[in-house]
This record gives sequence, C-alpha cells and structure tokens, in this order.
Amino acid sequence: MMMEPLILEKVEKSFKDGDKENHIVKNLSFRLKTGEVVAIIGPSGSGKSTFLSIAGALQSPDKGKVIVNGTDIATFSDIEKANIRLNHLGYIFQTSNLVPYLKVEEQLSLVLKMANQWTKESKRKINEMLVAVGMEQRSKFYPHQLSGGEKQRVAIARAFINDPEIILADEPTASLDSNRSMSIIELIAKIVKEQNKSAIIVTHDEQILPLCDRIYVMKDGQLMEKGNKSE
Amino acid sequence: MYLLPFKEMTFFKVRYLLISFILFFVAILVFVISGLANGLSMNNASAIINMPVHSIYLQKSAEGRIDRSHFTLDLEKLTAKSEAQPIGIQMGAISKVNSEDKLDITFMSVKPGSFLKPDSKSLEINGGNSVLLDRSLSRTIKKGMIVKDARSGISLKVVGFLDDQTFSHTPIALISLDTWEELAGGSNKSEYNGIAINKTDLGLEKSISSLYKDGEWVKKDQVVKGIPGYSAEQNSLYMMLSFLIVIALFVLAAFFYIMTIQKTVQLGILKAIGATSSQLVKSTIFQVIMLSIVSIAAAVAFTKGFMSILPDDIPFIFDFVQMAKFSGLLFIVSIFGSLLSVFNIVKADPIQAMGRVE
Repeated sequence: MMMEPLILEKVEKSFKDGDKENHIVKNLSFRLKTGEVVAIIGPSGSGKSTFLSIAGALQSPDKGKVIVNGTDIATFSDIEKANIRLNHLGYIFQTSNLVPYLKVEEQLSLVLKMANQWTKESKRKINEMLVAVGMEQRSKFYPHQLSGGEKQRVAIARAFINDPEIILADEPTASLDSNRSMSIIELIAKIVKEQNKSAIIVTHDEQILPLCDRIYVMKDGQLMEKGNKSE
Repeated sequence: MYLLPFKEMTFFKVRYLLISFILFFVAILVFVISGLANGLSMNNASAIINMPVHSIYLQKSAEGRIDRSHFTLDLEKLTAKSEAQPIGIQMGAISKVNSEDKLDITFMSVKPGSFLKPDSKSLEINGGNSVLLDRSLSRTIKKGMIVKDARSGISLKVVGFLDDQTFSHTPIALISLDTWEELAGGSNKSEYNGIAINKTDLGLEKSISSLYKDGEWVKKDQVVKGIPGYSAEQNSLYMMLSFLIVIALFVLAAFFYIMTIQKTVQLGILKAIGATSSQLVKSTIFQVIMLSIVSIAAAVAFTKGFMSILPDDIPFIFDFVQMAKFSGLLFIVSIFGSLLSVFNIVKADPIQAMGRVE
C-alpha cells in the first residue's frame, strides 16, 4: 500500500469571471498519508470545493500534478477520471445524494456492479458495511423513508464499499444537527482507521476538528497547516 | 447495472406511465387512421385494386382517369388476343322489378371468365342478360331476382354475388361484353373505356397502340389513383398520419427532454460515483426502447380489439404489414425523440453533486 495515496503538486486552477481570470487555486501542494483524516476549513469562496473536485478527479487542474496511487491523473480524459473515481475514490456529499429509486442495499450494489466488482461475496460485504454504519435494519428502505442522518450513513457506506484508498467528504455534516454531526465524523474516522484508508473532509463545522488528525486552512487559493490538533 | 433503468421506471411509475400513454394513444390514432385509409381505399376502388392487371390502355386526353377514357373497339380483332381484354366502366343505376327505388351501381363489362374477373364465368354469354353484383347489394337483392337498368329499362338476371367489387364507392354490377353492348344500344362497334393487359408485353402494347391512336399505357396503381375521389380521400388521411407522426416526435422529444433536465443533478451524482456518460445514455435509450415496445404492442392489441367492435359500415382494414411498418416508424420516432436528451446526459456535470443542498 502506498503511504501517500494522494499528492498534489503545484496545482493551479482559474475560472473566467467576465473578463477577469479568477485564480481560485494557486500553486497548491498537498500530501495525504494513509490512515489519516484531514480537515480543510476556510471561508466560503476560498477554493475548498475546487480543491476537493480536483483532488477527487471531478475536474482537471490547469497546471500541476495530481497523483492518485502513484499515477498522475491531471491530464486524464473524462472516462479515465470516471474510472479513477469508481475504483480509488469514495465521495460523501453535503447532502447524502442517494439515488432516489434504489433501496439502501442497492445503493451499495450499484457501485460494486459499476466497478465490475460484483462477486458471490458482495452480498455479505454489503451487509457488513451496513452493520458498520448501523444501517443493517434499513437495508430494504428507499432514501425518502430515511432521516437525514440515516441517509448520510448510507452515503458513507456507499463511499467505502468499493474499497477506495481515499475518501473525500464535502461538508458532510452541513445538513445535520450537532449530535449527529459528531457521530457521522466519528464513524468516518473509525472506518478510516480500521481499514487503513485516508480521508479529506472539507467543513466549516469547528466542533468536528478534534476528531481529525491534521487541519488545513484554505486561504487565497493555498492550503496552510494549522499546527496539530492539540493546539 | 442493467436493472437500473427498470428500477427507475417502477419507482417513478406515474411519469413513465404518462409518457407511455401518450405514445399508446398516438399509436392507436396512427393505426386507426391507416386502417381507415386502407378500408376506404378498398371501399372505393376494390374492383380495380383486386383486378390482376398490369396496365390499362387509356385515351391520352383522359389523363389517367378510366371513367373519362373512351375507345371504339373492334371486338373481333381484339378478343382474338386473350392477353388483351377490353374493359367498360359506366356509372348507372338499377332497380328491382316493380320498384321505383334506384340503387347506384357501376357497370363493369368484361369477357366472362377472362383474366380480369376469373370468377365471372357464371355470366351467360349468349342470349339472356345476366349480372353479378357486389356482395354489399345482397341485403336488398337476392340471387335469381331480375333487376332493370334504370336508363335503358333492359332486364338483367342476378346470377350471383362477388366480394369486394366497388368503384368510386359504388357497388359493381359485372356484365358480359354482349350485355354491355346491348345496354349501349346494340352495335358491333361499341365504346369501351380501356384495354387491359396482365403482364408487361412490349410487342402487344405496341400493336394495340398502333391499332388505336391517341392512347397511353397507364399502370394499375395510377388507374386506381385516377378514380374519382380516390386521391383526395387518401391524401387527406395520409396528411393526417404524417402530421401525427411529426407531433409524436415533438411531444416525445419534449417529454424526454424535460425528464432528463429534471434529473440532471442525479446524473451528476451517478457520474461522481463513477458512472460513465455512455452507461447513462444506454440506460436511457433502454428505457425508451422498453416504453416504445410496450406502448406500441398495447396499441396494436387495442386496435385489433377496437376493430371488432366497429360497426360493419365503417370501412376498416387491419393490415399486418402496414401496421408493422407504422410500428417501426413510431419506434424510430421515439428513439429520435430521446436523442435530444442524450446531449443533456453527456453534459451533466459531476461537480453539480457538490455543494448542493437538497
């Protein structure tokens, strides 16, 4: 296993805003280590989401390298990026973003089937994953029958089911109350440690920071480490 | 993955039912109108449509209309060649003996038993004047009755009935050449409307052309189109059909388009977790194929049932070959209708899944 599943080197990204070039991400370098949960905080508009979408193979950077498991994906085509997302990355969104017409267990099997990882073992694996997030009683429910916290648990299970090395979470607690927020982040951290994965959590929910190993602040298109969590 | 389109359809039942109903009813309308066009076509011109002729020699000035064409034929010369047969067509009326009620018919004269009407053998050749009527007249006239030609007053004996013999929506009264000439006033050189042949034979065509000047060979389907009212009837129905199909294209396109726009975010999510555009396009096209097959098949079944409850006097013919053609056309139209949404599926951006509040 790579010790650094995700490395960004001197990444730049800008958007056209009218006539002006708007540099959202400037000369950004970042290394993610296996087994750690990294939190990224910063004011809105500072480029957190852009950073996450580049790290998550949703967008390509204008310049620089994005190395996922030793492969530079900065210049990958859309289909190649989709493949990286499918096999190496797991997403947790602000809202659970579950597929409305699939039952909880089908949300997970869909990912495995798309990745061609469907085997005889898969049913058991899905069940184990649902047990891990405490949703095994709800496996036959549709998303609209679940509460916000339950949906987010399913989304976590979905992010982990295809054994990705990296979990990317975009404001995963934004639509939850503080008790639920803590338990969701605890859950992510627990699975990351148990299964030796890594996670990046973009958030502005300060109360979850103690659960993270490292904290970065996004400011003016760059990431700065904010000491360690004991500070 | 392959169950995904099914699951979506069963989950959003109302949406997909609505769109299937649109297609279902459009298909029914297409099938009913085409069946009606067929039925009217047979009701109008079955006497010519069912006639095994290749082409008919008509007067040039008649412009393809058999009822306007006239030749004075020398039957002795002509009937020697059995491949070329004179044909006479004359609108008229008959009435029952002791009755003033007239029935509109079209007299058609052929040589009994010739290729034009092989089942006309029962017409008496010499002496007694006899007539074979279209079966639609069998409700008022029975076999063996005597009917009178309204114009000349000549009596004709009804020797039988034939199926599907109409010309310009009137039933045919099939008579022999002798009777035709007697009705016309009796002479050896009588007027006929044209000369029919049952296969391409350039030699024969030439010899007839040289015998009777100022004529032209007109193919059977052109003769059918030249029957009074035939083209007007068929064209208006086919215009309706083509508009229906265009409307179907646009309605389906709009429906699929709106449905795709509505689920753009969802497509973005699926892409974010690793689905490719081509998988999603395939899934949508698969849904469209399923919907069209089910709706069109249901419409065919409905039309078949609808036909059996139609009253007899509405001409309606359920033609499987034509039905299959229109089904195919509607199928292609619905696939085309969904192509617009393919662009939207390809365009759907996985980034949309981020930073979105439900």
